[in-house]
Amino acid sequence: MKKSFNVMLSLASFIILFFTSCSKNEIPESSPTDGLTKITEGYAPGAAAKVEVYTSVSVINTGYTNLYLAIYDSLSGNRVDNANIQLTPMMDMGSMQHSSPFENPASVNAVNHLFPCSVVFIMPSTAGNWTVSVTVLVNGKLGTFSFPVTVVDPVKSTLKSFTALNNGAKYFVALINPVKPHIGINDMEIAIYKKESMMSYPAENGFTILMEPEMPTMGHGSPNNVNPIGIGNGHYKGKVNFTMTGLWQVNLEFMMGSEVADDTQFFEIEF
Amino acid sequence: MKRLSHIVILLLIVINCQAQNKNTNLVKDSNRVINLDEVTLITKQNVPQRRLVNFFKANNASTLEDILSRLPELSLTRRGAYGMDPAIRSFNGGQINVLVDGMRIHGACTDKMDPVTIYIEPINLETLELQTASNGFSSGSSIGGTINMKIAEPDYLNNKKVTGIISSGYQTAAKSFYESIRLNYATGKWAMRASATYRHNSNYRSGGGEKINFSQYEKINYSLSVKYLQGAYNFIRADVLMDDGWNIGYPALPMDVGYAGARIGSLSFVHENRQKHLAKFQLKGYANQVHHYMDDTHRPDVPMHMDMPGESKTIGLYSEAEIIINKKQSMMLRADASSTFLKASMTMYQPGQLPMYMLTWPDNKKNQFGLSSSWVLQKDSTTKWQLNVRIDFIRATLTTEEAKSQVGIFGFQHASKNNVLKNGSVQFTKKISSTIKANASIAYTERVPTASERYGFYLFNSNDGYDYIGNPQLQPEESLQAEISASYNPARNKVQLSLFYSRISHFISSITNNNVSTMTIGAHGVKTYNNIPHAFVSGLEASCFLKPFQKFDFVSTLRYTYAQDYKDEPLPGIAPLKNVSSIRYQPNKIFYQVETEMAAAQNRIRISSGEDETKPYTLWHVRLGLNSTLFQKNIEIQTGIENIFDKNYHEHLDWGNIARPGRNAYLQIKMMF
Repeated sequence: MKKSFNVMLSLASFIILFFTSCSKNEIPESSPTDGLTKITEGYAPGAAAKVEVYTSVSVINTGYTNLYLAIYDSLSGNRVDNANIQLTPMMDMGSMQHSSPFENPASVNAVNHLFPCSVVFIMPSTAGNWTVSVTVLVNGKLGTFSFPVTVVDPVKSTLKSFTALNNGAKYFVALINPVKPHIGINDMEIAIYKKESMMSYPAENGFTILMEPEMPTMGHGSPNNVNPIGIGNGHYKGKVNFTMTGLWQVNLEFMMGSEVADDTQFFEIEF
Repeated sequence: MKRLSHIVILLLIVINCQAQNKNTNLVKDSNRVINLDEVTLITKQNVPQRRLVNFFKANNASTLEDILSRLPELSLTRRGAYGMDPAIRSFNGGQINVLVDGMRIHGACTDKMDPVTIYIEPINLETLELQTASNGFSSGSSIGGTINMKIAEPDYLNNKKVTGIISSGYQTAAKSFYESIRLNYATGKWAMRASATYRHNSNYRSGGGEKINFSQYEKINYSLSVKYLQGAYNFIRADVLMDDGWNIGYPALPMDVGYAGARIGSLSFVHENRQKHLAKFQLKGYANQVHHYMDDTHRPDVPMHMDMPGESKTIGLYSEAEIIINKKQSMMLRADASSTFLKASMTMYQPGQLPMYMLTWPDNKKNQFGLSSSWVLQKDSTTKWQLNVRIDFIRATLTTEEAKSQVGIFGFQHASKNNVLKNGSVQFTKKISSTIKANASIAYTERVPTASERYGFYLFNSNDGYDYIGNPQLQPEESLQAEISASYNPARNKVQLSLFYSRISHFISSITNNNVSTMTIGAHGVKTYNNIPHAFVSGLEASCFLKPFQKFDFVSTLRYTYAQDYKDEPLPGIAPLKNVSSIRYQPNKIFYQVETEMAAAQNRIRISSGEDETKPYTLWHVRLGLNSTLFQKNIEIQTGIENIFDKNYHEHLDWGNIARPGRNAYLQIKMMF
């Protein structure tokens, strides 16, 4: 009886071991630039400032690119968390130059010691040379740091453009999210810019967007998507559902009032 | 001295067996127990039951499915030559428990291609217990009942001697081979039983001669049981069972099965002393795992190659006690807990693109804890009451963020569910005369939705051509059932009739969901599981075992089920009126048997579930058996022809109306040593 009791006891403990598992949650010390890649650094003469430029990607693709600027006092080496920053992207194609859409930091105050901003590179560097100039105003002192950027076309384009049927204007549509698509509900975010001139690409908030994801190989869509709606600064946010991995095509229709501006654009998302 | 002790052990076993039989009869009056094991049959069983066995086990190479299909209470949904899904009185899937020796085990296929009965061979089993709803919930909440496959135990009949049975057989319809071996060895307190089975079936030919492609299968099954006696009243038993099947064809489905395998292990401690109030106590711990891989590589015209692997893991523990309170009262108590994990996925491959992957069963776990009790009062020699109750605490959860994210697509943010299931029944048995017995019972039972019904993700049903999506918000089904049965048992004859009626509230059905596009190429649409207000299932079973003359046996069973939903529309998956009759003449060592199998037409169909009307059919089988000795060994030879007239037919529950096997001659040789 005792022996069998022991057997049962060991069986019970075996099962308890089966059921339970241990997990440790260690909180790592974080630095503001964890997970970011530094692409360049340099001085903004006149502002007594050193500028470090970070991105969240390892390769800069044509399309919407987040940049994170870290500003230091070039004398003391201390972080500068209050600065007025102005971007100027420029594409030099030899015979001509043009700019691109961009977003200056939203505030003069840094977010977690960094100034987030973005540039929408509208073509790859194979067409010419991209330069981004960062003009900083620190404590009343103004200076500019310029750096070259190499832009490549991604496998699946994240930037589309169309000429609107209703007004003939040219618009750029940049895909911002999903950055890391997964099966399930994904945040969908795009930004739209109107090309007013070679140097001016203001954000366009006047569109109504209809969105329909589709799996072209299978011929099916997905349920419960939320059309992106304007949230200001040319950004539109919605929800896109992916029921499986693979190649998805997110079809977009742009309406301005009751008029269709374009219904031919789509983003391909493959994961 | 040693020899004496062996004799004592032997005697004790015999006494135990007899006592057990008595007690089983007391507690489980309305259970059907089908004995499968030749040896125990000889030592334990009385004559009428042996007749039953011979009847249900048409031949020695019968698969478990063959045996199940001959029970009047059971019907099987057929998608291929193997892997048929059992139903008790048309209750199937999550409405019934299919247990292996009281253990829970879950198939690993989202498309129900592997009901757990495919992982068990008759050779693994001692008995097959069938309990209908009124007391079918004692080992797990269910509205339809329980099939419990009891694993055979090693015996102590021959000390220090290897005994066994070798069987070999061939059947013509599918050019199938069946080979099996069973060994038993006992020494002192130890006894061992090992078995192995191999089956190989090619594509079978249907009535009229057409070959049914993708109906082949091949499998191997091994089992080992070790028993250790500890004193006069205790023993410990360890069981391991392994089953591997390959290249299992499913002609009614768009895919076959490349591999399906189960690993089942358990360790039990049993204490038994009929002289004490605690007559029996059992504790069993178990673990099992099933892997299932679908395969489309042999199919022509596959639009896109896909892999569909599935996995199930269950661990559990249960404890049972039989308490004899006094001469008139006894009690059964049971506590059990289990945890079942399921995961299945699908990956499709389109050249030049990344694989398309999704979870078809998002990783999910069902933890269950239950308590049940049966109380039997033998009021006097003619009146018996039985009260059964069970409560189950069940928690179903999605275990990974990936799974939650995927189920969230349909807006289900809280897919984890807790349920408390309550079951209870009262049975009354009255012996009206020495030959007539009547039984009445009422039961209230509940069951939780299955993983597919809750979390299934675009599960394609090729019978109605719809993709099915689970619904975590489903409520448990609740059933109220009444059953009456009467038996007339003069001398060696027995006639029995049972009538039942079940009203199921929150019946789980499905509705077409037009908001969602199909996933499977070629599917007609998408359906979502839902609860409908109610449905009812009623029917009858009748059986008779007659011995008009000394050497004649006549066995006949009949069943009929009538079921519809709250809109008076027929429920799907209801088998029509069916009768199986056989007459056997055994003048000496040879027996001759003629059998008919008749099914009526089924015109009560549900078109929205992909059903169509099924024609009636009648089949004739002849069987012949010979018991003899060769080199002083017992030999049993069985031969026969099934479906003599090569009838081309299918049953109502056969998906795709794929014709069943035509004329099939078989030959089995069994040698005992």
